[in-house]
Amino acid sequence: MAAQALASSAHSEGGYATAFPFFGAERRGAPVLAFTRIDEKRVYRKTQVYEPDYVVVLDESLLDTVNVVEGLKEGGMVLVNSSKQPAEVDVGIDVKMATVDATSVALEVLKQPATNSSILGALSKATGLVSIESIEKGILQVFGDRLGPKIGEKNAKAARVAYDRTLVGESHGKRELKSAEKWLPDVKELPIGVAGVPMSTSAGAVGPGSFVENKTGTWKVFRPEYDTEKCTMCNFCWFYCPEGCIYRKEDHMDFDMDYCKGCGICANECPADAIRMVR
Amino acid sequence: MVSKICTGNYSAAYGSMRSRVRTVAAYPITPQTFIVEHISEFVNNGEMDCEYIEVESEHSAMSACVSASASGVRTFTATSSQGLALMHEILPIASGMRLPVVMAVVNRAIASPINIWVEHNDIMPERDSGWMQVFCDNNQEVLDMVLQAYRIAEDRRVSLPMTVCLDAFILSHTVEPVDLIEQADADRFVPRYKPTGPILDPDDVNAVGVFTPPDYVMECRWQTDKAMRSAVEVIGEVNAAFAKQFGRDHGGLIDPYMVDDADAVLITMGTASSTAHEVVDDMRAEGKKVGLVKLRFWRPYPMTEMRAIAEKVKAVGVFDRAVSFGVGGPSFIEFKSAVFGIDLPVLNFIGGLGGRDVSLADIRYMYDKLLDAAKTGEVRRDVTWVGTRGVSQ
Amino acid sequence: MKLKDLPDEELFTRGHTACAGCGAAIAVRNLMKVLGPNTMVVNPACCLLIFGATYPYLAWKVPFHHVAFENTAACATGMSRAMKVLGKDETLIMGIAGDGGTADIGIQALSGAAERNENMLYVMYDNEAYMNTGIQRSGSTPFGAWTTTTPVGKVKAGKSNFKKDMPLIMMAHNVPYVATASVGHIQDFIRKFEKAKSMKGFRYIQVFTPCPTGWRHDTAKTVEIAKLAVDTGMWTLYESENGKVTISKKPKMTPVAEYLKPQGRFRHMSEEDVKSLQDWVMKKWEADEKYAQCRQ
Repeated sequence: MAAQALASSAHSEGGYATAFPFFGAERRGAPVLAFTRIDEKRVYRKTQVYEPDYVVVLDESLLDTVNVVEGLKEGGMVLVNSSKQPAEVDVGIDVKMATVDATSVALEVLKQPATNSSILGALSKATGLVSIESIEKGILQVFGDRLGPKIGEKNAKAARVAYDRTLVGESHGKRELKSAEKWLPDVKELPIGVAGVPMSTSAGAVGPGSFVENKTGTWKVFRPEYDTEKCTMCNFCWFYCPEGCIYRKEDHMDFDMDYCKGCGICANECPADAIRMVR
Repeated sequence: MVSKICTGNYSAAYGSMRSRVRTVAAYPITPQTFIVEHISEFVNNGEMDCEYIEVESEHSAMSACVSASASGVRTFTATSSQGLALMHEILPIASGMRLPVVMAVVNRAIASPINIWVEHNDIMPERDSGWMQVFCDNNQEVLDMVLQAYRIAEDRRVSLPMTVCLDAFILSHTVEPVDLIEQADADRFVPRYKPTGPILDPDDVNAVGVFTPPDYVMECRWQTDKAMRSAVEVIGEVNAAFAKQFGRDHGGLIDPYMVDDADAVLITMGTASSTAHEVVDDMRAEGKKVGLVKLRFWRPYPMTEMRAIAEKVKAVGVFDRAVSFGVGGPSFIEFKSAVFGIDLPVLNFIGGLGGRDVSLADIRYMYDKLLDAAKTGEVRRDVTWVGTRGVSQ
Repeated sequence: MKLKDLPDEELFTRGHTACAGCGAAIAVRNLMKVLGPNTMVVNPACCLLIFGATYPYLAWKVPFHHVAFENTAACATGMSRAMKVLGKDETLIMGIAGDGGTADIGIQALSGAAERNENMLYVMYDNEAYMNTGIQRSGSTPFGAWTTTTPVGKVKAGKSNFKKDMPLIMMAHNVPYVATASVGHIQDFIRKFEKAKSMKGFRYIQVFTPCPTGWRHDTAKTVEIAKLAVDTGMWTLYESENGKVTISKKPKMTPVAEYLKPQGRFRHMSEEDVKSLQDWVMKKWEADEKYAQCRQ
């Protein structure tokens, strides 16, 4: 929706814009990929963007598993949702960097960690590509149409607040960013019928039970804080956890933050008040 | 050897029994119904050791066959026309999962207008479903091809599903003598079932039918394409093995008759081939150099064989019991694409739709037109609707 | 089996991609603990297919099968008969589908398999709309609920029909076991899946699984809302074992409004609509109770 709102904003300024997500089937909260192209003339190409001018990263933790600057044009800019100063964000290269704590903005304004409207405000500030007024208009239109005018207005406000809080600077990258390796079998290696067969590959395990390779812990905004003293070992949290990332130990529960998505059910259901959600 | 007078439907059912099919899921539809009735009788009389599932629709029939096959057992089903259309969604799933399901299809007109008689338009939408498709012109061939279908489909180089097609009523309900292959002979020809790929098995955990992102689909499609190409060779081998064991050679992808010195040949599918056979004999006796190509396999299509024939003769006619509206017959279109670049007159005859009888006279009429085209080298009209009132012939 | 006796091993593993707070994920990982490793699963197009099996990754550690959308029960039939042929009858075949795949497009195959008393367990996880395609109305969506195909517009708002009573339809097939369960009632949930596992023939369990994304509620409230559904009578917990119907838990008859309040999908409802829903609940409970009395 953010990519669409950006396109709508650019279009309202008289430009031509296309926006599309990588058409996946991701659930809410999962990392997704979306592209926007803005030009003065009609954009014909219907392909993914391989050499972006700007890269927007909605989740700072993705920097650990995705080389976000891959293909970034010379002089391009990276915008990261982060509470850090631009100089403190390391994306592996020397680059123009902008940061905004979009999650905090979203929590303050929307009361939920939906950062896509905030980040658009930040993008306007950082790039000057589209004015904040157009961004607000674009959000009112796209979010408003989809979720109702009240929600549209709130999101437009989030964009404005984020705009005001965005920091622009530079960062000098030191670490080496690496995208996680993918298993890409050729026609000889792929099991017939695309059968899910248990295999260990250079990119890790595939097949039955292999989703453990997917560390969903990056999705969370809040995490459970657990008090062993209060815990009665009733096992409710263990049953209710949708992820199965609470493990039973002899006299306590283990919370696996590599997988916790931060839903908060465990805290909500704990009869002994032994779990609370913190940021 | 037991030679017995029986229908095409009986032949198909009998073939599934002799192939030691262990799961059948089927639903009645005219004119296929007798196949499922015969199988039910075999099962209830203890002659066939098989789970017969009386499903509530053809969609469920094919679904149950797919899942039973994915679980590692040999499966069979049969349908026709509207029932095939209802199965349509599941057919590419069977081939995409590379499951060697075998199905008899009694070809019947597709509605509307609703009609229960022969036409090949029901199966034409399945051309690209990834199923191998063979058309028969006699009841012996129906039985023999059910047995052969399992050998072809279950060959590891192929691992694709297959239909055995027979014309509504003209084969399904017509009796003629058939050598009813005995179990011991069938067992020598059709090996015990071994799954061709990973299956659903509580003792060996795999997944069949996982949601697949773009990173893997091109490779999967390529594999299926390769399998269909490999089938060409396997079909030839299986035909030869069958001929050796049973003394009956039905031909491979095509069965040519009097083609080598012919001026004009007609390409036919299904029972029209049988009728045309007689016309060729008659016309040859009159000194006319005509030949016949019985197109047996619609998929894989005999690309090479058709080019070789086009190189040999002066004119080719294609008889279609189906039509791609506004263009011509599907078999005609396919032939033209196969022989692209070879300069010869190709005529298309559309006829026999909705069960209209295809007579000796109709076929002679086609040959006359072809001989004329062979002489002149000209195509005056490429698509002709045979015996259609008010349409110039 | 007590909660503490459930095995630690997850047959539906972490790392799956369900939304945070997913009720269906709670149901699936726990029912798999009860059913155990000698289970084969068939699952149609639905959220669970995507979040549990996206090539080359799977959360399932048991054989997993997907074919299409409307044929779960037919596919389970094929698997079940194949296991019989192979002498592996002890393997439990489970078809698990959402409400759209069960109550709408899948009902024909389901009814056929139930009538034939096929040896399988069919689980419907009920999140009351087509969530996989982005929250469209299903036959199982409750009265008044917003979905993307029953949007809150200027002249019409929310679903104008009441929820289809699938468990009742299934009981009318006279199958060995039909039960309703909820992710909010642990012991009842475990007991019903245990019982289903111990039986043969056609078994049907419908599990109530809130969906924070589609119902527009706080992700932490999934279980709380599931409990409220039972307390208000929006969801009756009962079971039918060989025709004998037993109510598992009498609703407290908490006003329905309490259930509606935390969910964004009901926010637009007028007082009159809330009253209609309350009336429906009263009648439904009355009918459920009477039905149980006459099927003792």
